Amino acid sequence: MPEIFIDDQRFEFEGNPKVLQFVLDQGLELPFFCYHPSLSIPANCRQCFVEAGTPVFNRETNSYELDENGDRVIRWFPKLMTSCSLEATDGMVIKTHRSSEKVARGQKDTLEFILINHPLDCPICDQAGECPLQIQTYKYGPEGSRFEHKKVHKPKRVQLGPNVVLDAERCINCTRCVRFTDEISKSKQLSIVSRGDKNYPLTAPGTEFDDPYSLNTVDICPVGALTSTDFRFKARVWEMNQTPGIDMTGSKGTNIDLWVRNNLVMRITPRYNPDVNDHWMPDEARKDYRRINENRISRPSIKLDGEQVKTSWNNAMLTFNEETGKVKPSEILVIGSPHASVEDNYVLSKFFNRLGVSDVHFANDIEKGRGDDFLITDDRAPNANGCRFLGFTEHDPAALGKAVSASGVKMVVILGDDLIGRGAFPAEAVQGKFTVFMGTNNCDTSNAANLVVPITCSAEHAASYINEAGRIQRTIPAKETVYTSRRLNLEMSLGRLDHFATKFDNWESDDNKVDCIPAWEFLIRLVQETGGDLTYTSSREIMDEIASAIDTFSGVSFERMDDEYGIPLKKENQPQGKTV
Amino acid sequence: MQDWRTYEPLLIPSIKDLHKIDVYEKNGGYQQLKKVLSDKEQTPEAVTNTVKNANLRGRGGAGFNAGLKWSFMPKPDGGPRYIAANGDESEPGTFKDRMIFEYNPHLFIEGALIAAYAMSIDAVYVYIRGEYRSWITMMQKAIDDAYAKGYIGKGIMGSKMNCEMYVHMGAGAYICGEESSLMESLEGKRGYPRVKPPFPAQKGLWGRPTTINNIETLANVPLIIKNGSEWFTSIGAKGHPGPVLYGISGHVNRPGVYEYPSGMLITELINDVCGGVRGGKKIKAVIPGGSSTPPLRGDSLDGVRMDADSLRDAGSMMGTAGMVILDEDTDMVDLVWRISHFYHHESCGQCTPCRDGTGWLEKTLLKIKNGEGEIRDLELLLDICFQMEGRTICALADAAAWPVRYSVARFRDEFEARCKKSIYAVA
Amino acid sequence: MEKFEFNKAERDHIEKIIARYPDSQSAVMPVLWMAQEKFGHVEPDVQKLVAKTLDLPEAHVYGVASFYTQYYKEKMGKYVLDVCTCLSCQVCGGYDMLHYIEEKLGIKAGETTEDGMFSIQSVECLGACGYAPMMQITNDIYVNHLDKAKVDKVIETLKQGKMPEFEPIPMRVAEKS
Repeated sequence: MPEIFIDDQRFEFEGNPKVLQFVLDQGLELPFFCYHPSLSIPANCRQCFVEAGTPVFNRETNSYELDENGDRVIRWFPKLMTSCSLEATDGMVIKTHRSSEKVARGQKDTLEFILINHPLDCPICDQAGECPLQIQTYKYGPEGSRFEHKKVHKPKRVQLGPNVVLDAERCINCTRCVRFTDEISKSKQLSIVSRGDKNYPLTAPGTEFDDPYSLNTVDICPVGALTSTDFRFKARVWEMNQTPGIDMTGSKGTNIDLWVRNNLVMRITPRYNPDVNDHWMPDEARKDYRRINENRISRPSIKLDGEQVKTSWNNAMLTFNEETGKVKPSEILVIGSPHASVEDNYVLSKFFNRLGVSDVHFANDIEKGRGDDFLITDDRAPNANGCRFLGFTEHDPAALGKAVSASGVKMVVILGDDLIGRGAFPAEAVQGKFTVFMGTNNCDTSNAANLVVPITCSAEHAASYINEAGRIQRTIPAKETVYTSRRLNLEMSLGRLDHFATKFDNWESDDNKVDCIPAWEFLIRLVQETGGDLTYTSSREIMDEIASAIDTFSGVSFERMDDEYGIPLKKENQPQGKTV
Repeated sequence: MQDWRTYEPLLIPSIKDLHKIDVYEKNGGYQQLKKVLSDKEQTPEAVTNTVKNANLRGRGGAGFNAGLKWSFMPKPDGGPRYIAANGDESEPGTFKDRMIFEYNPHLFIEGALIAAYAMSIDAVYVYIRGEYRSWITMMQKAIDDAYAKGYIGKGIMGSKMNCEMYVHMGAGAYICGEESSLMESLEGKRGYPRVKPPFPAQKGLWGRPTTINNIETLANVPLIIKNGSEWFTSIGAKGHPGPVLYGISGHVNRPGVYEYPSGMLITELINDVCGGVRGGKKIKAVIPGGSSTPPLRGDSLDGVRMDADSLRDAGSMMGTAGMVILDEDTDMVDLVWRISHFYHHESCGQCTPCRDGTGWLEKTLLKIKNGEGEIRDLELLLDICFQMEGRTICALADAAAWPVRYSVARFRDEFEARCKKSIYAVA
Repeated sequence: MEKFEFNKAERDHIEKIIARYPDSQSAVMPVLWMAQEKFGHVEPDVQKLVAKTLDLPEAHVYGVASFYTQYYKEKMGKYVLDVCTCLSCQVCGGYDMLHYIEEKLGIKAGETTEDGMFSIQSVECLGACGYAPMMQITNDIYVNHLDKAKVDKVIETLKQGKMPEFEPIPMRVAEKS
């Protein structure tokens, strides 16, 4: 296998990797700005310099030429090479800043150049704390500045489009944003304009940067030149906990990170998954943090005299059990949800099977024409496949509306899906039928329900979702509920402040914790209330049971999902969902 | 070596109305194209070899053997292949290709077509800087005439050769004289130099094999085909043979473009060809080949010849042979500041060291020019140059750094005299 | 508001320009030139027209137009006097000529006279170093060997709405001694 020597350490490689990517893949560090693994390589920032050489091959002896010490004779490239654009070849020798003064000087020099026209406004810059320029300047940059002139002035606070703000002075002309709109989103709405040190990215005059993926340019901007209109000045990076999650606004299963401060999700950013969304996500999906933070159902409520009235969990459970006792199993219509997790749906189905209700229904949530060929899907729900693979009966919303209205139905149980709000049926359809709504947000359906049970949302529980391609992926709790604690719940991630700060450094208060529990937990408590023996201690356990009970899910576990960026469920195991 | 005094110009001979196609034809025009097309021995490889053996070194600045460059083209695969003829001519001090456009456009066209034959080219794009609009019109007329006579187009001169030729007008960007930037510009983009590899011969215009040659370089080709490579190597300097268009400007009595063999003594060019320095003044400096080439001190010109080797030994470069003669009254600080201003203005802004370095150089030189500089600023200038050289995709950063580096080194007393005493200086 | 469009003959000509290249993007520079010739500038609305005509992203056309200095991104005077001040022109009095013209027209480089007749620009090397100092008029005629008298004459000619005559490059040979 071909070999390459990096700082005197030998590595083997396959194919034709570029040196920078290869070095990064080995877990070694090399500073860079303009390079991005999913974009073309312009080699313009000149930060990833290395020294490179190739061994001298003697064709006559068919071997490498050796010096008097028996070492290979290396022909060094006379100039510093940009490792991002340098293809690895067999026997190549690379010196990084770790072993070459020349490289260290080159990297320092480039940073000095970048900084002479870069405003040093880190204290008020959103990017500070996650800024490659800031980090690399600390690590590789010069200690002071020798530049004693006026910096080049460019436009500031330019509203490029609805979601993105430009500060052209901070721009270091890496062209990542332009390449993104050229190569990934293909809107081609940005270009570098002007020339030389007056360069900066801009839209054509009179046009808006309304690319549905525009905020990705903010993610990949290596400085604070592009910032999010929505997020800017809201929170510093180091104040937030970053937790992996799954997007809930479509069936693509886009991998995301939730950034939480004081139990509020401050922003959502894409998380790399080469098999799903690469490094990207749509702008619209980022706004989903509002659903997580705002208008949440907290504490159960029951309808008294046409008004929702907060009640205790105990009363909620008693009421539920009493009502199910009043009707025959055939009179209960159980509606699962493509918006809820596999675990919640599974336990819902299992709970009602015990009561003798054999069928669980769900309404798909499809908006024709919404999707594109990229990350936005017609399907607005993250887990329709979850419902299908659990064997639920699929309806289009109107058909489900008819089923609800049927005279034989005396009780309707709805899991996390605002069916009335999305027009499946009018509120009148459930009048006179005892309606239970287990949901996350106040909505038309919760208003119409006789009993409302607040359940955790994707940001508060560990649960799985199956995307349109049949890939099962899971969330990790990002924010606390009234009943969970970041420090006690081992499923939750800890941030820098949790690890190192005193409690006075932290922003935490109880204000933003929602009084809710996972739907499965509510259901098993109902069983336990009546002396039943349905017991799970975590959703992890539920998934283990699903994996052993249902063919489609065989071999699936949280551990595997974590290790493998989610698991594509085997096609041959997938059942054809029942459709009515 | 032939005495320059008896040399008769070949690229711009003094024949009246030579730019007209019938006059050009009467004077043996397009016969060399005919020769390569009709003579069985003149295979494309043979033509390429003749040019290679003639050691025709590129006249655009880099001085690379043109025939060798042609030989880098891969074998034809049926897809299109291109020549981009570089008439961007934007390096300050350079104004020679314009002579060919005005006085002998058909010589260039014939040369380009022979090159096209040698490399199986489908189309030649003649990139001319936008400022040369008058000469673009002349070039276009010459091309139209050559089309009308069947020298360009389908089945050239009754042969199987097809080749188109188009003029592409630049619009004010020095960087487009850099070959990969020129290709980007031709493709309708911002003139950003490309990362190499891939080289143009592999992946040039529109992703296809492309060779870029300077106008004057191509104009030499018919001469070589006519007289052979040995004849060509016998003209002028051994390592850098052939006729050269010397564009001489600045403080001389008769500035202009002169055609002489390569390897002329700089002093001869100034004193005998151009009638000496204006007002009989002494020479302070000579920039031998366009603004990017390191200036030579006026007192170091003895025996220095205008060819790559002699100039390298003297500490400069041949460049485009656009010589600027500067007399003893020239303010070197002012001059170098203006050169830096040029490169700052023309940097495309792609690579960090050039984008920000050129501006820093200019600002520092302006400070010195205004009497605000300190001695330490001279060290800073040299450091900035060091940080720019060899660190960018194209050579513009080097071109910007060299005049500064070598001016500060060779005229240091003048720079120091402009600096104020540092406030930190110890008496 | 002024409306910018190409007429049928111009559109046909554009098709011919496009045919010179493998793709229409490559025609952006010649078509920007055409537009500037017709409208006197390539302001944003003209760039939009070029983008539409060639079916290119507007941002791309903007990026290109703003890269090349000869495209006028805003309206200029009827005659744009591009005075070379670079290197050979600098050392042969280019700045003196520039300042003389500035004084004469009462505007600075980068400005346009109130009557919209003249703009002055201090420009980089125009490739006429042997005939310094010199200037170019509205991307067209080169006027070489400038002195005050010649500047006066040229401006007078322009005021009458005429372009100065084309000056052939002097053919040089060494004086045989």
